[in-house]
Amino acid sequence: MLLNPAARDPAARSRLIGALATLAVLWPLFQAAEVKPGVLFDPGNLKVIGNFLAGFLPPETGAEFLGYLGKATLETLAIATAGMALAFVLAVPLAYLASGAGREKTTLNPLTRSLLTLLRGIPELVWALVFVRVFGLGPAAGVLALGLTYGGMLAKVYAEILESVDAAPARALRHNGAGRPLAILYGLLPQASKELASYTVYRWECAIRASVVMGFVGAGGLGQLMDQAMKMLNGGEAASILLAFMVLVFSADGLSGWLRRALDTPPANRASPFGWRSSVLGLALAGSVVASFIFLEIDLKSLLTAEAARSIGEFIAGFFPPDLSADWLAKIGKGIWETLAISVVGTLLAAVAGLLLALPAWRAPFSFLLNTLRSVPELVWATITALAVGLGPFAGALALALHTTGVLGRLYAEALDNAPRPPSNALRLAGAPGGLAFLYGTLPGAAPQLIAYTLYRWEMNIRMAAILGFVGAGGLGQLLYFELSLFHHAQASTVIIAMLALSISVDQASAWLRRCMQ
Amino acid sequence: MSFALDGVGLTHANGFTALSGITLKAAQGERIALIGPSGAGKTSLLSVLGTALAPSIGTAEILDFGLFSPSTAAGKALRSRIGTVHQAPPLPGRQRVVTAVLAGKLGQWPAWKSLASLAYPLDVPGARAVLARVDLADKLFARCDQLSGGQLQRVGIARVLYQQPDLILADEPVSALDPTLALATIRLLIADAEARGATLVASLHAVDLALGNFSRIVGVKAGRIAFDLPAAEVGTPLLHDLYASEGEELPVQAHEPHFLLQSAANDAATRAACC
Repeated sequence: MLLNPAARDPAARSRLIGALATLAVLWPLFQAAEVKPGVLFDPGNLKVIGNFLAGFLPPETGAEFLGYLGKATLETLAIATAGMALAFVLAVPLAYLASGAGREKTTLNPLTRSLLTLLRGIPELVWALVFVRVFGLGPAAGVLALGLTYGGMLAKVYAEILESVDAAPARALRHNGAGRPLAILYGLLPQASKELASYTVYRWECAIRASVVMGFVGAGGLGQLMDQAMKMLNGGEAASILLAFMVLVFSADGLSGWLRRALDTPPANRASPFGWRSSVLGLALAGSVVASFIFLEIDLKSLLTAEAARSIGEFIAGFFPPDLSADWLAKIGKGIWETLAISVVGTLLAAVAGLLLALPAWRAPFSFLLNTLRSVPELVWATITALAVGLGPFAGALALALHTTGVLGRLYAEALDNAPRPPSNALRLAGAPGGLAFLYGTLPGAAPQLIAYTLYRWEMNIRMAAILGFVGAGGLGQLLYFELSLFHHAQASTVIIAMLALSISVDQASAWLRRCMQ
Repeated sequence: MSFALDGVGLTHANGFTALSGITLKAAQGERIALIGPSGAGKTSLLSVLGTALAPSIGTAEILDFGLFSPSTAAGKALRSRIGTVHQAPPLPGRQRVVTAVLAGKLGQWPAWKSLASLAYPLDVPGARAVLARVDLADKLFARCDQLSGGQLQRVGIARVLYQQPDLILADEPVSALDPTLALATIRLLIADAEARGATLVASLHAVDLALGNFSRIVGVKAGRIAFDLPAAEVGTPLLHDLYASEGEELPVQAHEPHFLLQSAANDAATRAACC
């Protein structure tokens, strides 16, 4: 059968080559990540992690501690909200400049696009680490770091969403003489508004998680408390903080779900598009932003003084010129490879686990598991996995995998839910068993989205993998943390440049892979 | 006996009664056309025959199976003997045509074969043969989203041909095809059913297509069977009565493109006037 040319599948050869090439690329990466599943079940390690987890019970409930916890929770919320406000203010004009939407001629906008890449490419934790050096310990560093990175991310995604909707309405408006801003407002925004709003709310959720993580470098909030508890191996306090954190993430999740559903309500029968609900919401939003800035005691003016500018300038000058000696570059090369390995292995493990957890039709317990995995940030997972398998890249890959499983599992479940049903229903009606109806009917419809989600997540994970080293999980982060704490700014600057280069090339690789899959 | 419905009624969860008091029997190998105005219940009737919907009242016996449960092995075996041509071809856009066609036999193949076929299509000649019958052999390795609506509908038909079911149900199988191709495709379905002794039930919008090709015509109106007669005995007054709600003209093949053009022209004109 295979020898008859007419009966041969013309795609088979390229599929086989693709599969072999994938294996050839993945094998050394798995080696570099030092994947040793056996270590997980090593009796010595099991004992350490067991003791630590046993210390979680009972969670600490002392009145004094709960007071700290309450204040830290509020601080985390405030950092996230203030940071998102800053990010939004940055993102709207940048997205407008960067996007090709509503333009009659496509332009590349290299300047804005590279600014966005710079903002996004350096992880928020690195920004925070740098700002803490300039503005001292405290939430201001966290807010600024969030604002810059998330501003870059929001702007990029806003620009892409506006480009992805049907361009015809905006083009028609432009041909009728409308300017670009109005063409976008009238022709594109109505199509894109739901996605834009839902992405913004989703990012706010992420900002809450990120603001926790930034506490690990001294930027306040729950993270700082968590860092102290972890350093003292105080399981009871750690458990309370994790619980507070999960409550925070779950309620943010609930709120964002409610907001997204509210976007689906049909318009009311009146002239103004704003009813009582949107007015209350708008007021609450403005109020919470203002309250956040007041609560954090961030004086925006003091950040914009000549003195602050001078100290930033001096600090930045210390990073130049970067150390480019061959020795150091070789070390960085190894760090890059390790970081890449952590991100790829972590993302792949998470993709497999996430798909398995997204499949069961009976969702409730699995959604809870996914939400729990997702609500604990990678950096916190890393402190735990480092106990389980020892310091090194495998701990980082595992931490990444645990958190990403939660994220991808949820996205996969949604994508599978939204995949068109008629194909698999038709197969069932023709007698196909459920599993095969899924493989032949549902999966082909959902696969592009599953792959896109995985690749997007990989882009985020490379940034995360670069900083997991802050808690000893290998890669570039370990180098950066070490050099910064020794005030070796020239060396640190090379590491930051390497992180930037790595995240840019991963973006490119992921975009290329996505094009290939289309 | 291919199927026997006795006093079948179908009430949807929202309280809408789609079918009531349907009694319809067919011997193996019969070829029946369902006609009637849109919303009459043709699709619902086909869904009951295809075991997609269970009747709310009455009994349905399909291919000598009485009460069935789709989740049992017997239910799956029954379903693998029923092939449905859907009005909108239910094919995933990114699936290749060859895979979409082979999927017709998922209910009959062992699981290992179905799984292996995802990595490498295991019956390329079989898929090519049925595609050749709908004039699409050259699209064997194309992806479904590269095909036009009419081509997709023919891939859906090819899948059912490949499945070789004992009962073929077709819901407006040629609605996306031009008149010549529609006629050829209906004749293909009939010839396939005839050759294998399968039963064919097709709902058709175009009355002339039904009367010209099918021996038995069942008129459906408001969820009931209005008449069930040999094609020769279906006269114009009967048809006018059936389509009373749709105006003077009977829906026939030749008129369809004309209608489409008319409405498309109207649409463009309204738009132009609007701007």
